[in-house]
Amino acid sequence: MVLVDIRETKSVKAADIFLQVRPGKDFELITILRAMIKDQPISETQIAETGLTMEQLQDFVSRMKAARFGVMFFGMGLSMTRGKHMNSAALLTLAAEMNAFTKFVAMPMRGHGNVTGADVIMRSQTGYPFGISFNRGYPRYNPGEFSTVDVLVRGDTDCAFIIGADPGATMPQPAIDHLARIPTIVLDPHVTHTSRLSRVHITTAPAGISAPGTAYRMDEIPLPLHPALESPYPSDEEVVRRINETLMKKPDWMGERPQILQTQI
Amino acid sequence: MEMKVIDHATCTFCGCVCDDIQLHADETRIHQAKKACVLGKAWFLNHTAERKYPDALIDGKEATVDEAIEAASEYLYQADMPLVYGMSNTTCEAQRQCVALADNLGALLDSHTSL
Repeated sequence: MVLVDIRETKSVKAADIFLQVRPGKDFELITILRAMIKDQPISETQIAETGLTMEQLQDFVSRMKAARFGVMFFGMGLSMTRGKHMNSAALLTLAAEMNAFTKFVAMPMRGHGNVTGADVIMRSQTGYPFGISFNRGYPRYNPGEFSTVDVLVRGDTDCAFIIGADPGATMPQPAIDHLARIPTIVLDPHVTHTSRLSRVHITTAPAGISAPGTAYRMDEIPLPLHPALESPYPSDEEVVRRINETLMKKPDWMGERPQILQTQI
Repeated sequence: MEMKVIDHATCTFCGCVCDDIQLHADETRIHQAKKACVLGKAWFLNHTAERKYPDALIDGKEATVDEAIEAASEYLYQADMPLVYGMSNTTCEAQRQCVALADNLGALLDSHTSL
């Protein structure tokens, strides 16, 4: 196991090799690795910029090529620092290019329970994994334009429906301020920070504890939930379905238009 | 008190989604979560079947679920650009309903992935 980080974390103990990259130099490091696997010339000064040495990287590249099945795990340290989604894109390209030599995949490390399920469901129903807009009547994908933090900070949205998340505790202050300004609706097993600034809060049964269903593991394996308790509250699924049913009774916002996605399986 | 044992329970605290947890539970709470990690134990043992919170709140005041669903639908219906966000700590079945909701509303749809 090779660990790449800007500082020595607790995971160093579990790692065989630790590569300490200079903060904000992820994109440079990945690009150098992409060149090195293809034996393209790289200068010592270019490598020195990343805080690592030629020997370290040559060793790393030969280990990657010698592997029979390599996995690159990446987290928010890569995708949320300088370069953002360009860093993720570079890493995914490196993983794709490694397949010229051996089997390699890249996988995001997930914090929350069923966030992988959200990706999978949105992908299967709309064709896109996140950052989607239906405002033209068909799904469009554009992170940065339709992603939540950006939409809230710019103040684009005039009503927010929050389920299984607590942006009031985690998002930047301008985004939270906008959530407090607009009607916000929260579905959560607890009264959260977001519930306190919302107009409507509905308590629901916690998934996996008292609500049944399916959750996706980080590597996209669907697993059934086996709830242990009976909840006095309805499940998320039931509440959202009832909201959908209530909305279907109202006239369509686009006139006599059939629903775009014909099958909500 | 009768203890119910559930083998192969699934933990949804983090992205690992361990599915080999053994739960020992009575009517109101889970007493033991064997094979779960520190985070998983806290997740299973801290949730109870008690009615700790009101069914629903509208403008901070207690309300019934029916009233809250009506109010939520009206806010969403009246909005020009509603946003459906989150979907991490919930089931795939609920996520499908959320996609349908965003589709019906012509809304924005996004998850934790964009963070």
